Amino acid sequence: MSTISRLPELVEITIDGRPVRVAAGTSVFDAARMNGTAIPTLCHLQNETPVGVCRLCVVDTGARVLAASCVRPVEPGMKVVTNSEKVLSARKTLLELLMADHPSPCARQEKSGDCELETLAQAAGVTQPRFLKRTVSRGIDDSSLAIAVDHDACILCDRCIRGCNEIKNNFVLGRMGKGYSAGIAFDLNAAMGDSTCISCGECMVSCPTGALTNKTVVGTSIAAGSDAEGFEAEELLQLPVFKGVSGTFLELNRGAIVKRRFRPGEIICREGEFGSTAFYILEGKARVSLSAPIAHVKTQGGAKGLFKKLTSTLAARDADVRSEETRDRTIPIDASVDLAYGNPVAELGSGDLFGEMTCMNFYPRSATVIAETDVVAFEMLRNVLDIMMKNKSFRAQIDQNYRKRALENHLRGVPMFADLSPDFIEHLKGSVELQRFAPGQIIARQGDAAGSFYLVRIGFVKISETYPGGELVLAYLSRGDYFGEIGLLGGGVRTATCTALDHVELVRISGGDFRDMVERFPSVRQGLEAVAAERATQNQQRMQTVRSVPIDQFLSQGLMEAQSLLILDLNSCTRCDACVNACADAHDGVTRLVREGLRFEQYLVATSCRQCRDPLCMVGCPVGSIRRRNSLEVIIEDWCIGCGLCARNCPYGNINLHPFDVMVDDLERPGRKKAVVKQKATSCDLCTHLKEPSCVYACPHDAAHRVDPRTFFSEMLGGGSSK
Amino acid sequence: MIFDDLRAIQLRYGFLPKAELEAFSQRSNTPLYQIHSVASFYPHFQLVPPPKADVRVCADMSCHLNGACELRAELEQRLGKSSPADLLIRDVSCLGRCDHAPAVSINDEIFTGVTAASAEAIARKAILGEAIPEPHPGHARVQCASDPYNSEEKYGVIRKLAATKDWDAVLAELKLSELRGMGGAGFPTSMKWDLVRKQPGAEKYIVCNADESEPGTIKDRFIMTHLPHLVMEGMIVAGLVTGAQKGILYIRHEYHLQKEILGEELRRCYRDGLLGKNILKSGLTFDLEIFVSPGGYICGEETALIEAIEGKRAEPRNKPPFPVQAGLWQKPTVLNNVETFANVPQILARGVEWFAAQGESGSRGLKFVGVSGHAAKPGIYEVAMGIPMRKVLFEYAGGIRGGRQLKAFAPSGPSSGYLPASMVDVRLDFKALAEAGSMLGSGAIVVCDDRTCMLDMALNAVRFYRNESCGKCVPCRVGSQKMTDLLVRWTHGGVAEKQYQADLALVDELCQAMSLTSICGLGQIVPAPVQSVLKHFREEIDAHVLKGQCPSGICFTAAAKAGEASRVGIRP
Repeated sequence: MSTISRLPELVEITIDGRPVRVAAGTSVFDAARMNGTAIPTLCHLQNETPVGVCRLCVVDTGARVLAASCVRPVEPGMKVVTNSEKVLSARKTLLELLMADHPSPCARQEKSGDCELETLAQAAGVTQPRFLKRTVSRGIDDSSLAIAVDHDACILCDRCIRGCNEIKNNFVLGRMGKGYSAGIAFDLNAAMGDSTCISCGECMVSCPTGALTNKTVVGTSIAAGSDAEGFEAEELLQLPVFKGVSGTFLELNRGAIVKRRFRPGEIICREGEFGSTAFYILEGKARVSLSAPIAHVKTQGGAKGLFKKLTSTLAARDADVRSEETRDRTIPIDASVDLAYGNPVAELGSGDLFGEMTCMNFYPRSATVIAETDVVAFEMLRNVLDIMMKNKSFRAQIDQNYRKRALENHLRGVPMFADLSPDFIEHLKGSVELQRFAPGQIIARQGDAAGSFYLVRIGFVKISETYPGGELVLAYLSRGDYFGEIGLLGGGVRTATCTALDHVELVRISGGDFRDMVERFPSVRQGLEAVAAERATQNQQRMQTVRSVPIDQFLSQGLMEAQSLLILDLNSCTRCDACVNACADAHDGVTRLVREGLRFEQYLVATSCRQCRDPLCMVGCPVGSIRRRNSLEVIIEDWCIGCGLCARNCPYGNINLHPFDVMVDDLERPGRKKAVVKQKATSCDLCTHLKEPSCVYACPHDAAHRVDPRTFFSEMLGGGSSK
Repeated sequence: MIFDDLRAIQLRYGFLPKAELEAFSQRSNTPLYQIHSVASFYPHFQLVPPPKADVRVCADMSCHLNGACELRAELEQRLGKSSPADLLIRDVSCLGRCDHAPAVSINDEIFTGVTAASAEAIARKAILGEAIPEPHPGHARVQCASDPYNSEEKYGVIRKLAATKDWDAVLAELKLSELRGMGGAGFPTSMKWDLVRKQPGAEKYIVCNADESEPGTIKDRFIMTHLPHLVMEGMIVAGLVTGAQKGILYIRHEYHLQKEILGEELRRCYRDGLLGKNILKSGLTFDLEIFVSPGGYICGEETALIEAIEGKRAEPRNKPPFPVQAGLWQKPTVLNNVETFANVPQILARGVEWFAAQGESGSRGLKFVGVSGHAAKPGIYEVAMGIPMRKVLFEYAGGIRGGRQLKAFAPSGPSSGYLPASMVDVRLDFKALAEAGSMLGSGAIVVCDDRTCMLDMALNAVRFYRNESCGKCVPCRVGSQKMTDLLVRWTHGGVAEKQYQADLALVDELCQAMSLTSICGLGQIVPAPVQSVLKHFREEIDAHVLKGQCPSGICFTAAAKAGEASRVGIRP
């Protein structure tokens, strides 16, 4: 008897004239649903607290106004009408209002045809909304790797907000603003990718429209091989790194993560190949190495005669000493370790993540990884990697690995830090902070107070300075580079703006540690001061140039970017191509010069390396082997793996890939060598092995010249001399 | 309390810097999103550094009728050369100074009856960083007929009740008086108090709604200035009768002076033992505090106001439950308007008979009304309930300014819609006005002379709601914007007959949907001004829309068109 007395009281109401009995406290919406009457809704989800904001579920209870049935509890004797003309007409108007502002078809409708708003509108016969459309877009947010945000498709149903805060307790999403300009916002209105969002996917799963949709990656699923084991969402949810993630979200990303098993000796990935996945080793050991010969391209034959065939060969550093070759002791690769220059082999083991750059930024693989023992690894696409990286415990583990294994190499890889004592490095291991930045995010702004010193761990950082009328790129920094010393050693103010160009990870050394470091290690101080002074001078020179030759056309054609131009005076040029032939002859039959290009009055700027001020070719080199000499000339270091990204990046087509036959270790048959064709990138080397560039030398009409554009153009244009 | 922290940060930096909000989030364990959702909701909070001179011109009814558009246009011209870091000129919703229109807020100080020259001078001072204190007009207490204590010791009702503790008698007296809520809805006061009194539990609240923000509404400002003791006493009585031990007076932040006066009165009450523990040694407890609103018309909606006190976005709640059942902190709450509370001691001190005798033609009590717009003597008047509107407009408010003709009047701001001059004999009474298709509302009478364009006034009213919609529910958030869009299109004229008929049908559907499905009164009332002008001024609207003619002769002039782009509305 006692159990019966605890049952809720039953309430009798009528729904569209039909008497029904439901437990007290039931919402009218549920009462109708349980009795077979479906009431349309957009903001109501069974697993979330009802909020009654879309008003689509209104019913007539005989009161002055209609009632939102999802938030209205039944009352004894209530007469509910769900389908009168009055109710249906009001609902239709609401749908028409929403559709007027809806980017139809929205992303959800387009992908899966299940935008709830569009479906309901269609059912209600709303085709052409008669209201004026929204005139100002609320914008899209593409910053998250896993979820696309289209604020224009947002109907403020609050489902994502409740999903984030009520269901997952992540407390990231909320309403912002008020009235017609209200919207959803992450944290303090940060971009989703920059926010504290952990990509659990609950908001996206809750969203009725295309406002929050799953972002598919190019080639959504990883090409499955015999060794690939897919996952069911349930299995993934068992893994600690996916704790708290929405199951439906993982379901949508099925195929974006597979488990692979490799036998000893099997290749996991090859250097130079393009890819879009990262690997996380669960069990076993793998060897990471470079198979490209460590050598640079050397042109041989000397200046014995113009018509004698010259040959290019691969030359080792000792055999062909070039000035200002870097003395780095390590080669940066896309893993938690760096490779030693002399012996580019390292070991990866359980808990190591590699291929992050390839996965996040689509750069070529930087090294070859071969299984040493039986290896079990996850292979994943960037949206899954993003979900994992946002998991706090996984992040902590990755950070820990980095501190333990790579930080020391990383620091010591920078020549001037070579003298740091082991105890100081131990101290830094504990105190440095790893920071992530999304593409476009500003790391430090010109004029801000300088607080920290940074080492680049992953990605590329653009250093730029503003000048009246624009922005000048001073440098691109990649793995192994550092910045922030000018501000710290100088006036305490950032002299340039540092922006993440892609997904960037930095090692932040606090101002306090930096001061300790320069105080304790005079050699470090001297080195840094020298670099700071040199960088400051260079930057000043560049800014000076920009200020003194503010010629729009000059700038817009990109010529300003150039340090050294090959120009052909079209008044004397007979188009005989002697220059092109000479270049080919000087470079093993592969010309580095094309007699095509931009015209500037009577001058043709031939397609040949311009030693740009904004050297886009350097962005993305997976092993950091393309850089500038101090003379600003572009140099390709000897560990180039021939992936060709720089050639693709050069906007002027001035980098070529030069094929060579070489003998390398046969990975399939350990201990044996085999002949393969390897490429090395080359660009105009100004024929430094000759007295004068061979193209210039070869021109029978004295039409070809190598010039410094600053001097040349400012003289030619008269006035505005930069000297 | 989140608002206190945000105010402290803003006081220090002039706005809410991101780093400070992040630190606050850490310190208080408040999620960032929550801070931002609140800070971005209220107009009082600035998320970006403000300009040196933040000039906001009131854009609503009374100021609009008194040349606010022209004032803003001229200010923009005069100060046009200033940099954005120095100056920002924008519209602001009604500042509650309708009797001294036009009103301009400069760096949160409010100046009334301004001219372009005077506003320019103040703005220039602000740009130079000089102090620009708001002029506090003299506020010698005005003797009011409704004050039972003109010659006697104040708080007599409480003194009596502290001894008798006869709460039933109080409720019986109020019931007999038929006192109804003066904030607009007109709910019987005794019933509300009785409902709260009967609710179980010891934790209950008394909240006074002093957030009057509807264009034209200025009566509470007057009552708080001149009869603060009646408001306090009414609240204390409510607390004693219902058993609530805590009262909160929620005042709009633009009422600086009234906040000071009430604060003074509050301290006096504590000093005299009328508030706090053991009131007048009766063993009864009632505490009262003043809560300054972070802004927004929507905060005047009772449940939105409660949400605001709780430190959330002022978004109205779905009802039921009503505040009498689950109000502030989900506890039973009496929520009444300033004037309602002020009425209570009048009735209890002088008796129901006196109260009934104050009204005319069967109505009861005295009523404070604000008269503004084109009235010759705009101001707040204490009138007998039930007198004809004609008497209020022509005897109290001195008729129409400049000897012009009365064209229309809004009995209570935009919410009441506009009635034509022919209906000026309607009585000032709940029932009479409801029968006229309008409402008594908050007694915010706005007068329009014969050179007023009624389409312009409808748009002005709808635009106010659009600006003040909280955005919680679809019909109000989207509907108020679409209604504005539609009216803007109409104001341009030259609409084809067929399109106009289609538009009229659409307006009708939209009005239906908004009044039937909006969560709160704001969304439900948006159609009123449009429907009223279509009902009473149809010919004028037709001419405007179809032929591009403004019978009042104020739209479609070259000057009007020149300044049109910068704001939604006809006139510059």
